[in-house]
Amino acid sequence: MSTIPFGTKRTRRWLPWASIAVPTIGWLVFGLFPSVATVFYSFTEYSGFPGTPLHFCGLCNYHNALNSSWTDFETSVTVTLKYVAGVTVLQISIGLGLALLLRHRRRGFGLYRALIFMPQVFSVTIVGVLFSLILDPQNGPAEPAYHGLFGSTSAFLGDQTWALWLVIMINVWMFSGYTMLVYIAALRRIPPELYEAASLDGAGRFRTFRHITWPLLANATTVNVFLTAMGCVGEYALIRVLTDGDYGTKTLGMYMFDTAFGVNPSLGYGSMLAVAQFVITLVIGSALLFFLRRREVTL
Amino acid sequence: MSLRLREMTRTGGLQLVCLVISVGFFALPLVYLALQAFKTNTEFLNDPTGLPHSWTTANFSDAWSQGDFSTEMVNSLLYAVVPDVITLVLGVFLAFPISRGWFKHSNALYGFFVFSGFLPAGLIPLFIEAQKIGTYNSRIGYLIMTSLTGAGFFFFVGYIKTIPRELDEAAALDGCGYIRFIFTMIIPQMKPALATFGIFGFVAGWNNLILPLVMLNDQSLWPVTRGLFSFFGQYSSQWPLVAAATIIVALPILAVFAILQRNLVEGVAGGAAAGSGGVTVTRNPEKIP
Repeated sequence: MSTIPFGTKRTRRWLPWASIAVPTIGWLVFGLFPSVATVFYSFTEYSGFPGTPLHFCGLCNYHNALNSSWTDFETSVTVTLKYVAGVTVLQISIGLGLALLLRHRRRGFGLYRALIFMPQVFSVTIVGVLFSLILDPQNGPAEPAYHGLFGSTSAFLGDQTWALWLVIMINVWMFSGYTMLVYIAALRRIPPELYEAASLDGAGRFRTFRHITWPLLANATTVNVFLTAMGCVGEYALIRVLTDGDYGTKTLGMYMFDTAFGVNPSLGYGSMLAVAQFVITLVIGSALLFFLRRREVTL
Repeated sequence: MSLRLREMTRTGGLQLVCLVISVGFFALPLVYLALQAFKTNTEFLNDPTGLPHSWTTANFSDAWSQGDFSTEMVNSLLYAVVPDVITLVLGVFLAFPISRGWFKHSNALYGFFVFSGFLPAGLIPLFIEAQKIGTYNSRIGYLIMTSLTGAGFFFFVGYIKTIPRELDEAAALDGCGYIRFIFTMIIPQMKPALATFGIFGFVAGWNNLILPLVMLNDQSLWPVTRGLFSFFGQYSSQWPLVAAATIIVALPILAVFAILQRNLVEGVAGGAAAGSGGVTVTRNPEKIP
């Protein structure tokens, strides 16, 4: 604890507390309390209608999830895992590919990078409407293209087999620019002497990438994989606009939103889903960190 | 000579690939959407994927008045700017004493704030709480809920540590008060960090859809993201009108992006260089409060 140079002897004692008071109280009231209360509400049968009692029911919501509504719960967990895996794998590969293409300082490249980064400054509403038009089965441009290629029709976002993958791709479209920028920053920190040495040793492009670029990007890969996975595990705003959780796109987050704020609200069951989502985030997050860090060390 | 030629065609090829990817995949969808906005509805239905012939601008004025976007633009601006500014200032006041080690357990306090960021998102209890304390369906209430956080706090703590303590002591000796010191000495020193967080905070606040969806019931309180979402639901069969509304909503943020894209790009790259993952565009803006 260091001395405080400001204030008089009397004010010095409470000055630091006064400084942090407003943001701390705000964070307690609107941050920590709601977070902790989620766990509390997950033990109740609260419907959310004003005037209804807050009926405490122990583990009833957890019990229901694992028994009577097991299929709904299981489906949403599976969809969430597919979503996280799909977005992470695609976004890392595409982001890395774009970074390798666009890492150089050449004419026009700044603009290209900016264009690729651009989608993520848009609201999910804008992106959602945009792709609803492009993938509109009657009037969108994707339909004739698909018909020309495969000779059949598709409902795209209204198609049980395609909807989830399309939402995944739209999510990747929106955020791959971020992954690209993190990779470019890392690529530029790789010392050029290493490449010179490799080319003197006669290493081809693939081997140079395999033995120099990829290992030295381990740090950036950790950051990218972790941020991508953690960012999309609770995603539901984009899904809400694109499919409203229909056609096999109901992630846990979407299921939670539907349950809590849909036509027949149940805030208790919704809170349980939020806790379940938290547990999944925690498990995926710590597993990823464990493996990615270990990978960095053993290089 | 032939070597140079090959080199030239290779760079040319790379340029072409990059151009096709960035423009074709990332810009073209938006251009396509914008083109639809200049068609009349019958024109669109007759030829949905072609270029517009009439180049009508009626869709823009219709969308503007039917969607009540003028009120919503003002709301959006309020919801983006006010919490952004307050959050930054409060974040500095929170970070300063902690980074100076003025508390007995400054490190523990810091760790506690970091840890709390990993707790489950409390959207449902926040909704119940807002109804109880009267911040539900209210402009002021919404601003209070989004303003009282310490966003950027973690980064600020590290940043303030790079500002020498001698500055505090010298200022205090000269009789400068604490609040004046923060505003006239610390905040100007933190300009780059504040600018980066300010831009990202503005974008996140402007784009938030879930919190307005949950917290704001009256249309007169909606921001444009929420307004466009309803507009889309209401007029989903009239694509030219919806396209015009989308362009109206996209233009302000596109302008911000065009002006500040360098800062945004550097914010991401700089954050990554610091190894922390740095600034992220908040993907789930509802987690902000």
